[in-house]
Amino acid sequence: MKSKQLRTRLIRVPIIVIFCILAFVMLVPIVWMLFSAFKPDSEIIKYPPTFFPSSFTLKNFTKCMQRIDIFVYLKNSVIYAVGATLPSLFINTLAGYAFARYEFKGKNVIFMIFLATMMIPFQVIMIPLFLEVHMMGMYDNYWGLIIPKIASAYWIFMMRSAFAGLPRELEEAARIDGLSEFGIYSRIMLPLIKPALVTLIILSVNGNWNDLLWPLIITSDSQMRTLANGLALFVGARTIEYGAAFAGAAISLIPMLIMYVFGQKYFVEGQATSGLKG
Amino acid sequence: MDKKNKSIRSYWNKPSHAAYLFIMPAAVLLLVFNVIPLIASFYVSTLDMGISFESAKFIGMGNFIEALGDYRFRNSLKVTILFTVIEVPIQMVLGLVMSALLTKNTFTNKLFRSIYFLPIVCSATAIGIMFQIILHSNVGLVTYWVKMLGFGKVNFLNTPGLTLIVVIFVSVWRTFGISTIILISAMQNVPSDYYEAADIDGAGKIRQFFSITLPSIMPSFWFLLMTRIIGSLQVFDLVFTLTDGGPNFTTETLVTYVYNKAFDVGNRMGYATAMSEFLFLIIMIITVIQYIVMVKTED
Repeated sequence: MKSKQLRTRLIRVPIIVIFCILAFVMLVPIVWMLFSAFKPDSEIIKYPPTFFPSSFTLKNFTKCMQRIDIFVYLKNSVIYAVGATLPSLFINTLAGYAFARYEFKGKNVIFMIFLATMMIPFQVIMIPLFLEVHMMGMYDNYWGLIIPKIASAYWIFMMRSAFAGLPRELEEAARIDGLSEFGIYSRIMLPLIKPALVTLIILSVNGNWNDLLWPLIITSDSQMRTLANGLALFVGARTIEYGAAFAGAAISLIPMLIMYVFGQKYFVEGQATSGLKG
Repeated sequence: MDKKNKSIRSYWNKPSHAAYLFIMPAAVLLLVFNVIPLIASFYVSTLDMGISFESAKFIGMGNFIEALGDYRFRNSLKVTILFTVIEVPIQMVLGLVMSALLTKNTFTNKLFRSIYFLPIVCSATAIGIMFQIILHSNVGLVTYWVKMLGFGKVNFLNTPGLTLIVVIFVSVWRTFGISTIILISAMQNVPSDYYEAADIDGAGKIRQFFSITLPSIMPSFWFLLMTRIIGSLQVFDLVFTLTDGGPNFTTETLVTYVYNKAFDVGNRMGYATAMSEFLFLIIMIITVIQYIVMVKTED
C-alpha cells in the first residue's frame, strides 16, 4: 500500500513540471508585453532582449497618446461594450424568460428557429450585413456598431436555462397579488438569476471589448475606432513604434485583466455552459 | 377610451399572449441582422457589385466560376483546411489531457486552470502585438532563446511553411484553456460512484479514464469538437493581427481573403460573398454530420 502511495506521488512530480512549463509558456508573452510597456525605447530594441525592465518609464504611454487618439478609442470601446451589453441584457432575458416560463402556441417551433440562428456563421453574413447596415444609414456610427450585436440566440438559450429552475409558486403568488406579467419578470424573477446576469454582462463586455472584425468593417472614421481595431490598424501599418503599441495594448488589456481577477468564476461558468449540450 | 386601453392591457397581460411581446424584440433583431443577411447573401453572391446596389449587375454563377479559377481563393481554402486539420486535434488532445489532470478542485489545479484560461481576456490585437515582437526576427525574446539553444536565427513570422505553424501555435495557445475548462465541467458531472465501483474492481486511473470518463463526456466532447472545427474554419482576427496573410499568402485564410476583397481593395462585395458561400457550404455539411451523430448516440 505504501509503495503505491509513493508511486502516485512520484508520478505527480513530472505532471507538476509539465503544468509549470505550460504555465510559463502561457504567461511569458503577456507578462513580457506588460513589462515592455514600461521599458524605454532603447531597451525594447536592445539585443540581447531583456525580460525585466532595467528602468521604468511612462514615455511609451505619452508617445501612444501623441501617435493615436487612444482616449477616443477607449471611449468608443466603452460605448461599444456597455452600449451593446445593456440592451442585450434586457432583450435576451425577456425572450429567455418567455421560453422558460410561458406556454404559447408555436413555442417549440419558434424556439428551434431561434436556436438555428446560432448556426449562422458571422463570417458568412458579414458582407450582406454590412450592406444592410450601410443602407439603413448606420454606417460609421454607434448605432451600426451596436444594434446588430444586441440579440443573441446563445444568450437567450442561457437565460432560458437560468429561469427554468425557479419555482412555479413564485409567479403564481405574484399574479394573485396583482402584479403584471412584466412586473413578475422584472421585479420577482430577474433578481433571482443574478449570477446568470453577471455572467452575461462579463462575457458580453469582454467579447465586444475584444471584437475586431465588426468594428473593422462597420467604421472607417478614425474617430470611430475602438481599441481593438484602432491598435490593429496602427500596428498593421507596419509601425516600428513598438513602445507605443505595447502601451496601447496594455491599456486595452488591463481593464479585462482586472475583470478576470474578480470575476473569473463567471468567465468559467459562461464557457462551461456554452460547451455543454443540454 | 380608457376602457379600451384597459382591455388591451388585460389582453396582453395574459401569459400566453404576453409571451409574444416578450420574444418580439429579440425575434425582430435576429430576423433583421441574422436571417435576412443570410438570405441576402445568396442573392449578393450572384451580383457583380461594389458598395451600392445601384451599379449591381446580375451575373449568375459568374462569381463562383471565377473563384474556382482564382489561385488566391484556392490557396486560402487550402490554408484554412490545413490550419483546421492541424489546430483542432492539437487543441482537443491538449485540452483533454489537461482537463483529465486538472479535474479535481484543489488549489493548485484551480491556479493552473486560471493561467491556461487567461488568453480569454486578450484581444486578438493584443495577442498579435505580443507575439509579433516576442517572435521578432532581430529583437524577439523567443528568437533569442531559440538561438541560444543552438537552432540558429529563426525568422518565425516570415518563413513560408513555418509561419503557418506559428499561427497554429498561437491559436492553440489562445484557445486550449477554454477547451480545458469546458471538458473539466463535463468531467465533474460524471457521477462519482462510477469511479468508486471501478476502484473496488481494481481498475487503474488510466483504465478508468478510457472506460468511464471518456464515454461519459462524449456528447460534450463531440459538441466541442464540432464548435472548434467551425470556429477554426472561420479564423480571421489572429491572422489579421499576426501575419496579415504573409509571407506570400502562405497564411492567408479564406475569411482573410474575403475581407481583403470586400473591404481592403476593390470592394468586390459580390465576389467576396460568393467565396464565403463555400465556407457556408462546408460548415453546413459539418453541422449535418454533427446532427446525425448526435441523434445516433442518443438512441
